[in-house]
Amino acid sequence: MDTPETFLDFVRQQSGKLLEQTLTHTGLTFISVLIAVCIGVPAGILISRRQKLAGPVLGITGILQTIPSIALLGFMIPLLGIGPKPAIVALFLYALLPVVRNTYTGIQGVDPNVMEAATGMGLSPRQLLLKVQLPLAMPVILAGIRTATVINVGVATLAAYIAAGGLGEFIFGGIALNNTHMMLAGAIPAALLAILFDWGLSRLQRLNMRKARKTTLVLPAILLLLSSFYLLPETYNSRLKAGFTPEFMGRKDGAIGLGTVYGLHLRTLVISDMIMYKAAYEKKLDVISGSSTDGRVKAFDLVVLEDDKHIFPPYYAAPVVRQAVLDKYPELAPALDQLSGTINDSIMTELNYRVDYLKQNPQQVAKDFLVSAGLWKPARNGTKGVIRIGAKIFGDGYILANMYKMLIEGYTDLTATTKTGLGGTKIVFDALVNDQIDMYPEYTGTGLLVILQAPQQTVDSIIGDSQKVYDYVKEGFARQYQVQWLKPIGFNNTYALMMRREQASRLHISSISDLATYVHH
Amino acid sequence: MIKVSHVSKSFRHGKNAVNDLSFEVQPGETLVLLGTSGCGKTTTLRMINRLLIPDQGDIFIGTKNIRTESPENLRRNIGYVLQNTGLFPHYTVLENISIVPQLLQWDKSRIRNRALTLMEKLRLPPATYAHVYPQQLSGGQQQRVGLARALAADPPILLMDEPFGALDPLTRISVRNEFKLLDELNSKTIILVTHDVEEAFELGSRICIMNEGRIQQMGAATELLFNPANDFVRHFLDKQRLELELKSLRLRDIWPYLDGSNSGNGTLLSADTNCWDTLEYLIQDKAGSTFRNEEKQLDGNILMNAINAYKKTVSQHGHT
Repeated sequence: MDTPETFLDFVRQQSGKLLEQTLTHTGLTFISVLIAVCIGVPAGILISRRQKLAGPVLGITGILQTIPSIALLGFMIPLLGIGPKPAIVALFLYALLPVVRNTYTGIQGVDPNVMEAATGMGLSPRQLLLKVQLPLAMPVILAGIRTATVINVGVATLAAYIAAGGLGEFIFGGIALNNTHMMLAGAIPAALLAILFDWGLSRLQRLNMRKARKTTLVLPAILLLLSSFYLLPETYNSRLKAGFTPEFMGRKDGAIGLGTVYGLHLRTLVISDMIMYKAAYEKKLDVISGSSTDGRVKAFDLVVLEDDKHIFPPYYAAPVVRQAVLDKYPELAPALDQLSGTINDSIMTELNYRVDYLKQNPQQVAKDFLVSAGLWKPARNGTKGVIRIGAKIFGDGYILANMYKMLIEGYTDLTATTKTGLGGTKIVFDALVNDQIDMYPEYTGTGLLVILQAPQQTVDSIIGDSQKVYDYVKEGFARQYQVQWLKPIGFNNTYALMMRREQASRLHISSISDLATYVHH
Repeated sequence: MIKVSHVSKSFRHGKNAVNDLSFEVQPGETLVLLGTSGCGKTTTLRMINRLLIPDQGDIFIGTKNIRTESPENLRRNIGYVLQNTGLFPHYTVLENISIVPQLLQWDKSRIRNRALTLMEKLRLPPATYAHVYPQQLSGGQQQRVGLARALAADPPILLMDEPFGALDPLTRISVRNEFKLLDELNSKTIILVTHDVEEAFELGSRICIMNEGRIQQMGAATELLFNPANDFVRHFLDKQRLELELKSLRLRDIWPYLDGSNSGNGTLLSADTNCWDTLEYLIQDKAGSTFRNEEKQLDGNILMNAINAYKKTVSQHGHT
């Protein structure tokens, strides 16, 4: 079932949040560009005077530029925690290269005859810089600032992963929830911002040819003004700080349910699940929306709060396979079904812990488990066909995909390839129905709420019973997508609120109701 | 006014070096440094306003060693004209001319008046050109703005590095003629660098021929022509020798050798007229001249014979 609302409805409903995100985004972009200008322009001037420094400085800023943005954001967490600070620093580092390089190139590009004449007339080095070099290099410097700004509008979307806000909240929430409207509500304004800022700065650049000296003053003023957007007042105030993934934020069985069923309203930041656990461990966050079988629950000594009012639906994992593949290779289903009933919650947490935290190879972890369960057989190296196994980017998926590969190759004459790391639900499911992969492990709750998007009454009537949910998605997938659910593996990787064990016991919080009571008194 | 004393300068790339150079320039004199490219003439010029620091030797302006003064102060009191003008592309003509007076913190109205006066003198009507940017001007106009800029603060000294080098031949001649007639330049001590022999002879009160970083000969035009110090100087001037000789000899210089009767026919030319102009005149008309109350009739033969006689005497007995 498609979302009945149109894109404009969504924008209208969320206009407050959209405006806030846009302002945050603008602020993040410009505050980092401003810092980059404050540091990059003097650095550019310095290396134009001390040529020996030019190579190293440009080299280092160049290397910073090549670090993948999400990794750079990740590096910032241990140093600066989560929130705007690390995001601004990361964005600043990205903005640095274009600013430094263009300042340097611009100054180098000033006509040597003009420099000679200016020196010969008796301008001091300072006057030379202010009256000749900077005004003449200004178009090139501005071009660098333009580049930096446009890069930062793009990279700033990733700030949503580390709780710094911005339009990334909608973009990644939309991807996670398979909600196109939400995705576009983030992506379109981000693109418009990039175009708008680029255009604005290009106007400034042209103006500058005639009034070079005035621009030097106007630019910082504009940057400051735009940067100030970031200093929005914090709207929420509560005793505990929560960090939820973009996906959790927008789900009925997530943050929305916490509000309606438990009446729980926390000061919430949006954050990537990759860094959420560590942020909780480092006391940057107090409550996070984890998944119950994640290895990091064990690694960081977190405790799962009991869902005493049952808002999180069952998330039993089972392989979903295209019907066409099952028909073609009837031996496939029995091979895969052998895993059914062998892995419970604590085993899955343990396996994830070994991969996520002890950094063991998922392949090895998968093999060790199959061997200990007496299921492992050497690969037959059959040539009958190839099964492409997909998986989402979480630990569960990597391990399960490897187990299935070994089972297929050990028990049938088929071979298997794994395509792990397929982003969120939308991406991996699209890959399945578009014949890019043949199967992947999915959770019943995700199938019910994200893919089938079952009507509210249906959800309410079946959500308490895991078997009914399984039956519903099995029937729905087969009918709508010709995709078959095989037997559940056994563990329930549901959403869960979790806290540090120490804090939870100190505050006597063991269930979500306890949490709500604590927060609101 | 300017004294260069045993100055040497060498560069890592080996070109443009200057070797133990000494000369003096008198107040109000125009000294031309003449030589092929790489001979060190521009290096010499750039050492005088401290754009380059000599490896050895000293340079004095008046009695003051230039090392003892801050480079900025020194340069603000020396006009500097470059081949490619080096006008500030982001400044208007008026602003360009006002740069040095501004550095010297003149008051605004004085700066403006001075700049406008100079524009008038250099045939750049302020109404048309004051608020125009350099790239909108022709090459000759740009060079005139460059000259105005150098003269703006009325410095006693002017350094000119190939000031007409970037202009096409016709423009070069007209700008050069204006330059000669400019009253602003009368009292200035000027050092001008050029590789153009004709220009050197036309503008220099003295000429200094340089080669490979050393002075080959320094003196007035006639000395270089008729008493060359060495073969280099002789050969350097050979190509244009006849024209240079005719232009640098005035009638008064060869008066004793002029063998004309005093028939008093035709126009009377001043004894300060050079032989080149006299010949040009004689092609069209008859002419005579007076000097020390003596009148002589001139024609082509008489003139050429006198010149030859003069050269013979000078090369035998040395210059007087």
